[in-house]
Amino acid sequence: MVTIVVKKSKLLQELKLTQNELENVLFNLKSEIEPIDEDNISIEINADRLDMLSVGGISRAIKGILGKELGESKYAAVDTDYKLVVSNVETRPYALGAVIYNIKLDDEEIKELIQFQEKLHDTIGRKRKKVAIGIHDLDKIDSKVIKYEYIPLDYKFVPLNSNVEMSVSEIIKNTEQGKEYGNISIYNKLTPAILQDNGEVLSIPPIINSNKSRLDSETKNLFIDVTGTSFDAVYQTLDILSSNLAEEGAKIGFVKIEAPYSSTIPNAKSPIMKHKTISVNPTYINNRIGVSLDKDTIVKSILKMRMNATLDDNINVIVPPYRVDIMRDVDIAEDVAMAIGYENLGVEKFQSSEIGKYLKISMVSRAFRDLSIGAGFQEIYSLVLTKSTNLIDNYVKILNPISIEYDAVRNSLIWTTLNFLSKNQHARFPIKIFEVGDVVTMSESDTGYSNETRGCFAIMDSKVSYENLQSLVHQIITNIVGTEPSYLKNDNLIFIRGRGASISIKGNIVGIIGEVNPEILSKFELSFPVVLSEIYLSKLNNLI
Amino acid sequence: MLSEIEFRILNFIKEKVNTSSTEIIASLNLPKSSVFSVIYHLASEGYIKIIEEKKIQDIEISDEGKKRLNEGFPEENLINILNGKSLKIQEIKQKLGDNFEIAITWAKKRNIIKIEKGEMIPLTNSFISPERKILEKIEKGEMITDSELQLLRSRNLIREKEDKEIIVEFLRSPEVKSSLIFLTPELLKNGEWKKYEFKEYNVTALPPFVPIGKKHYFREFIEKAKDVMISLGFSEVSSDYVEMEFYNFDMLFQPQDHPAREIHDSFIISGKGRISDKELLNNVKEVHEKWWNYTWDVNNALRLVMRSQTTATTARVLSTRPKAPTRTFTIGKVFRPDAIDATHLIEFHQLDGLIIEKDFNFKKLLGVLKEIFKGLGITEVKFKPAYFPFTEPSVEVYGLIEKLGWVEMAGAGLLRPEVSEPAGVNDPAGAWGIGLDRLAMLFLNVKDIRDLYSEDIEFLRNRKVDI
Repeated sequence: MVTIVVKKSKLLQELKLTQNELENVLFNLKSEIEPIDEDNISIEINADRLDMLSVGGISRAIKGILGKELGESKYAAVDTDYKLVVSNVETRPYALGAVIYNIKLDDEEIKELIQFQEKLHDTIGRKRKKVAIGIHDLDKIDSKVIKYEYIPLDYKFVPLNSNVEMSVSEIIKNTEQGKEYGNISIYNKLTPAILQDNGEVLSIPPIINSNKSRLDSETKNLFIDVTGTSFDAVYQTLDILSSNLAEEGAKIGFVKIEAPYSSTIPNAKSPIMKHKTISVNPTYINNRIGVSLDKDTIVKSILKMRMNATLDDNINVIVPPYRVDIMRDVDIAEDVAMAIGYENLGVEKFQSSEIGKYLKISMVSRAFRDLSIGAGFQEIYSLVLTKSTNLIDNYVKILNPISIEYDAVRNSLIWTTLNFLSKNQHARFPIKIFEVGDVVTMSESDTGYSNETRGCFAIMDSKVSYENLQSLVHQIITNIVGTEPSYLKNDNLIFIRGRGASISIKGNIVGIIGEVNPEILSKFELSFPVVLSEIYLSKLNNLI
Repeated sequence: MLSEIEFRILNFIKEKVNTSSTEIIASLNLPKSSVFSVIYHLASEGYIKIIEEKKIQDIEISDEGKKRLNEGFPEENLINILNGKSLKIQEIKQKLGDNFEIAITWAKKRNIIKIEKGEMIPLTNSFISPERKILEKIEKGEMITDSELQLLRSRNLIREKEDKEIIVEFLRSPEVKSSLIFLTPELLKNGEWKKYEFKEYNVTALPPFVPIGKKHYFREFIEKAKDVMISLGFSEVSSDYVEMEFYNFDMLFQPQDHPAREIHDSFIISGKGRISDKELLNNVKEVHEKWWNYTWDVNNALRLVMRSQTTATTARVLSTRPKAPTRTFTIGKVFRPDAIDATHLIEFHQLDGLIIEKDFNFKKLLGVLKEIFKGLGITEVKFKPAYFPFTEPSVEVYGLIEKLGWVEMAGAGLLRPEVSEPAGVNDPAGAWGIGLDRLAMLFLNVKDIRDLYSEDIEFLRNRKVDI
């Protein structure tokens, strides 16, 4: 989800809608609005609808779904004598450009344009790693030939919003943008740059523009450069930018492209304004949605989504440059459903004649929980992530934890149980608790780790005894398995020597039980004795 | 063992040796009915002997009698009105109202007035009716004669009822017993307990604390959600917390540079998994490269993460190449880095489902979702178009919650062919994911998500059970 902030009055006036109507129509376009203040609203746009990241795109989509304008929005475009000459820039090989004429830019609109640019950076641009956009005042550029090539890091120019000349290295070290994006495309002490014919810097993608070509309220025409690591993402970004600016009244100018890849570009000029034709079977569309629309209704729906369509046996959808999210027939099906309105589709009542089935471990866990309640234990429910210093033996460590409190995955319930007890030493005694839950242990699985379901009991009181807990656990296990367990002496360090045992059924160890060693108690800052037992439910499950 | 009241009555009888129920009632100020029942009980236990039971007449002043005593008899009032002088009958009638006829009748009978030419002449200056005197005797408990009784009866001044009196005689006292704290099997067996008196407890005192077994309220909510899915005919499946990116992302058509795969959106585990199903790997590689136009790297797919969505379990099910009809669900923990606060935790539960049917479609999916939410207790839902990389069409489900309005509750859609076909599933399939923790907070009225995993045992002990 991406949010953009727009002037409410401007949008409502343009569309002749009330705020309520706007809210409803946006809901059906996957979006939501949130008022900010008197004049501004924020609109949440779904990640696929890059075409809706500016006011022009939003109103284009709304006019369509309301039936006010149908089909593709076509824009005026003229050839220009601007040329972008692209050299080999291995770390960021692709660059395209566009000229935009007759743009109206007051302060408010400059803000909107920059917001649009930034939202494209964050989404399709993958935070400028994949795509970066430079927007310049065309009339401040002195040459018709623009170059895209590497420059050395000691190359100097005045960066945006500054009046001091700096080297690229200084910019990377000293400016906010330099610190954030400096390292993306630098290679071998070189950085990609958009230059005038005379070598003057216009921008160093993806870091910053030069101050020379900065936008102001006098700006009438734009030069846009888009650079990146994916040709598709670069041309799609430029197509969306150009279309949306044209939707607001600007005229598109083509820039000649001289690049290693220019043979793949129709007429070697950009923006490409790519159209894609998808042939869809109307029966498939109907079956996918579960409706029976005639061909004309399907075509009308496609037009409402601002695409064009022609009819033969199938429906040929012509996807305009701004709808880069449309891949194939299933996407068209969704757009048709949206044009009809999800609320108008109706719901086919679900009737089930099948009988569902629980996993056996779920049933075993339920029985185990019921018996534990019967034995008088309070159930607790802990987080799976825990502090690695609480754990012993092998455990899964999180490489990028958000806090050291949660930097590991529990490998036993004993530690989360002791942690719980340590936080309840002032509660009413006796404390009798149990938990049933999953732990992660090393295994022979395809990841090397498996979940294991376990149960854990603990009693904390001023005086506790092994036998006290053993008698309850013995009953619980006997009731679940149908066989009485036996106990083997266990010198596990968790327990006081001579007061710990393994629980065994037919030769399988299904758990441990004992009075907790004072050293462990003190590690958890426990001032009361504890007797506990951990039962391996996944193992019991296999014995039943 | 005698009760307190039985003791009191027996002691009174012992003191008097011979007495009657009437006397006991009057002296001990006890209700008549209990005195009779105690007497019979004491007699049956052999402490006293019933000498005689006799019927007695009991007289009570009637409401009318009481009224006359207070307000005066009509004939008394007549004499007071005349006050020694003659008055016109009409005038007297006005003053006495309803009582006029009675006053005239009885005044004539008592010969205290005479009537001449429409005027009434008093024959005395003051008059107190004899009936008043008799009633006052009854009030004092004095005896009255039969003729007096007859008089009162005729003027409806008394009420009569039959009553009983028991004459008793003392026989013996109960044995004195020592007190007993615990009743033991031995005492019960040999009947010795009869010789003892039980020490009385302070039964109104509040009890000491004793812990009881109690299920965890959030666990119960999760189990209920399982029951809902089972009742709708879905079979439970599960998979592990540690997962390969392949099942968490790649199989779900999320490109390898998708933002959800970045370091701040998933918890990363060191190591690599292994996948022996080469066909599946190749198919997934093919769809990624065809549609996303990049070079898919199997090494990225084998990286380990803590699963960030239970859709990974759905991917695991798909990888077994299920055939239609298939209906599975899973409820499990997922893990995502986030700031921890009252509404966010780094681990939470999802309910994911998968349905594969020959003629499944989007409208049927909406029907499934509606039914699931009905089972969970949300009767009104609405559907919003949405985007997920692995479904098309996609939908978000909003449920109506009282006081809160529409709340986003689930994401769903028909699986893209790029997701199902690499696993050889060619029939339409629907899938969904429901976040359970937020839903639980709404239903269980929990304001802070951390309370779902409370580390405070008193919170768990004191929380009322959700019915």
